[in-house]
Amino acid sequence: MSATPFPARQVSRRSVLRGGLGALAASAVAGPLLTACGGDDAGGGNGKEMSFWNFYGPADDNGPQSKWFVSLAEQWNANNDVKVKLRYIPGKDYLSGTTLQTAFQSGQGPDIFLISPGDFLRYYNGGVLQDLSSALPAESKADYLPGLLEARSVDGKIYGLPMEIEPLAMYYSEAAFEKAGLSEADLPKTWDQTLAVAQKLTGDKRNGVMFETLPGYYQNFTWYPFLWQGDGTPIKDGKVAFDSPAAVQALKFWQDTIKNKVAPRKALGDGGGDVVSNLGSGAVAMQQSGIWAVSDLRTKAKNFKYGIIPHPTPDGGKPATDLGGWAFVANSKGKNPEAAAKFITWALGSTDAEGIERQRQWNTVVKTNVPPRKSVQQAADAKGAFAEGALKKFVSEIAPTGKPEPRFPPEVYQPIADAIQACQLNGADPGKAAADAAQKIDTFLKTYQGAPIT
Amino acid sequence: MTATTSAPPSRPQVLARTAREKTPMTKKRREALAAYAFLAPDVLGLLIFVAVPMVLAFGVAFFKVDGFGNYQYVGLANYKLMGSDDQLWASLKITGIYVVAFVPIAFVVSFALAMLVRNHFKGIGWVRSAFFLPNVVSLVVVGLIWQFLLVDKRGAISNLLAPLGLGDVSFLGTPSLALGTYVVISVWFLMGYQMLVFLAGLKDVPKELEDAAEIDGASAWQRFRYVIWPLLRPTSFFIVVNSTIGAVTGLQAFDLVYVLTKGGPARATSTVVLYIYEQAFTFNNMGYAAALTTVVVGILVLCTGLMFAFTRGGRFDED
Repeated sequence: MSATPFPARQVSRRSVLRGGLGALAASAVAGPLLTACGGDDAGGGNGKEMSFWNFYGPADDNGPQSKWFVSLAEQWNANNDVKVKLRYIPGKDYLSGTTLQTAFQSGQGPDIFLISPGDFLRYYNGGVLQDLSSALPAESKADYLPGLLEARSVDGKIYGLPMEIEPLAMYYSEAAFEKAGLSEADLPKTWDQTLAVAQKLTGDKRNGVMFETLPGYYQNFTWYPFLWQGDGTPIKDGKVAFDSPAAVQALKFWQDTIKNKVAPRKALGDGGGDVVSNLGSGAVAMQQSGIWAVSDLRTKAKNFKYGIIPHPTPDGGKPATDLGGWAFVANSKGKNPEAAAKFITWALGSTDAEGIERQRQWNTVVKTNVPPRKSVQQAADAKGAFAEGALKKFVSEIAPTGKPEPRFPPEVYQPIADAIQACQLNGADPGKAAADAAQKIDTFLKTYQGAPIT
Repeated sequence: MTATTSAPPSRPQVLARTAREKTPMTKKRREALAAYAFLAPDVLGLLIFVAVPMVLAFGVAFFKVDGFGNYQYVGLANYKLMGSDDQLWASLKITGIYVVAFVPIAFVVSFALAMLVRNHFKGIGWVRSAFFLPNVVSLVVVGLIWQFLLVDKRGAISNLLAPLGLGDVSFLGTPSLALGTYVVISVWFLMGYQMLVFLAGLKDVPKELEDAAEIDGASAWQRFRYVIWPLLRPTSFFIVVNSTIGAVTGLQAFDLVYVLTKGGPARATSTVVLYIYEQAFTFNNMGYAAALTTVVVGILVLCTGLMFAFTRGGRFDED
């Protein structure tokens, strides 16, 4: 028996090359095998089955929103040859992960998927959005509230159907106001009042007011209303307009909340939109969030007493909110884009009783949104969905002051995000931050060749 | 015994001898074959998931890739772009500061822990396990735990610091503190692993040498300085190289930052790996992201190569 069972062996250059080639050959064989292991959940489909990637269902919790999606697919599949197969992707991965991007890069994108306004141009300019116009009856088109389809259109063609409208407002805790000896009469209407009231509400364990602090699309989305209140906009008539008094004052307002130590530098839970973890826990007394928080509070903090007010305005400013909301879109490079377009227009645009009821369920029963279609709003009104409380205020007072969420591409979004972060959390000069951002946006616009941004 | 001279072997004799010699090799070959078979899954995995993507990344760096399967050859344009990319340089600076702070602190802390738990005492298993425990938890979970501890005004750490008048400090929300907070969390996470590596190195230090030095009148410090420390050089070298690479491209440079601050507040924790991720998956500039990756790999190879060269692979002045 050898003393060294595995004697050292000289590795020649040839053997290395031979081994390398063998391994490459093996990887070439393994590649397709691994792809095949991906299962039939991968995008692309076979023409008779359409994959629908979303962040609602079928989820493990089998909650109402998941059930709505599952039921939607079942209803379609019962009457159509080309079936829909749902694939659930957890929200965080869908919103800021890599699943969708890597799928599209490798030509394996889903046939149908959800898209936010912030991502619209990225996908449109990438040439993967299917024109839905021909599949959408004129009656459905006319049923949508003004501006919503236009925000998802290019050259008059519609590329996405909105499933909801999600306006933003300020939520406040009744208990926190009472504890600070404040009443409804003290609810702030202006930025100065907000800072003053927040000061009174701030204590050792509580901040008076809260805006999103984490950088990202969501933070920009929540900041735009304050820009619009002073009649500002990042881009006007295709040219940069960000270096404006409106942008400077909006940047300064958020900065003042931190400077005055009345707002947290970091939100709890899932961030600025998470009302249950922040306002509901007592960590803040006023918080900006969206209409979705009504259903969140309803299910997770039933006994919590709160109210909502429109965004406070600057002196001489006008009320404004941002109308967020996701849309269904079809992949033009999928196996069956026409069927995908038909599915989307059936799911969200049907004007028959069943279609209206499906939309009413989504917007006012399993979720709280402002319905994007007039007929659905009427049906919801008839059921008393907006008869009282926060939802009434959202629909009658706040949403009418809103603009659809801008569809800025990342090259526009990022300089604005940097300006917000630098001013809010790093004490940067708002004037300089706005000018820096404007310069970057201007540089981008000079070479931009995609669809119109505004 | 007389010396005999023989004629050179004929060709058939040589062939016969070769055949005889081949017989004992057969077993060795079988063993070698078995070894390769055992290694094959790992080698194959590394090739498919590491080597091939790495080679492809170098190739992709010469293309403009839009994230929708379209490639356009652009030569060195992606590399030229880096010169005017302020955010890239800012991210490299942040990563540099993180490395310079994290590597020595993690080294000293884990080495101190290894010395602390080197000798046996009652309950040593528990103590060692406790130090190692953070390392078995997913870094995402570690991030969430620290997020919970560091909650503004209400977190456990704020409560601890409140008597000192520091209850209002936001460790993850203040640009000047956020990176330092990451260093602390990273050290806490990795100290157990590095401690184990040091312990393994300490086990190889012959006790006789320490005893001899003690008999010769060497103090504890002298025994450490002249016996333990020189013998630990290869281990120390491994730790420094390993933690430097980890600090630049490892999980703590991405997962932790991604979970806790997403590069904020105000870009204070935007490490170069996070920046590459943003370029690839937010901006869909996959070609540029690939080019950035090759530069980071190049910097790491250069740094590691220099460390090897200056320390002779951690053996310093050894022959």
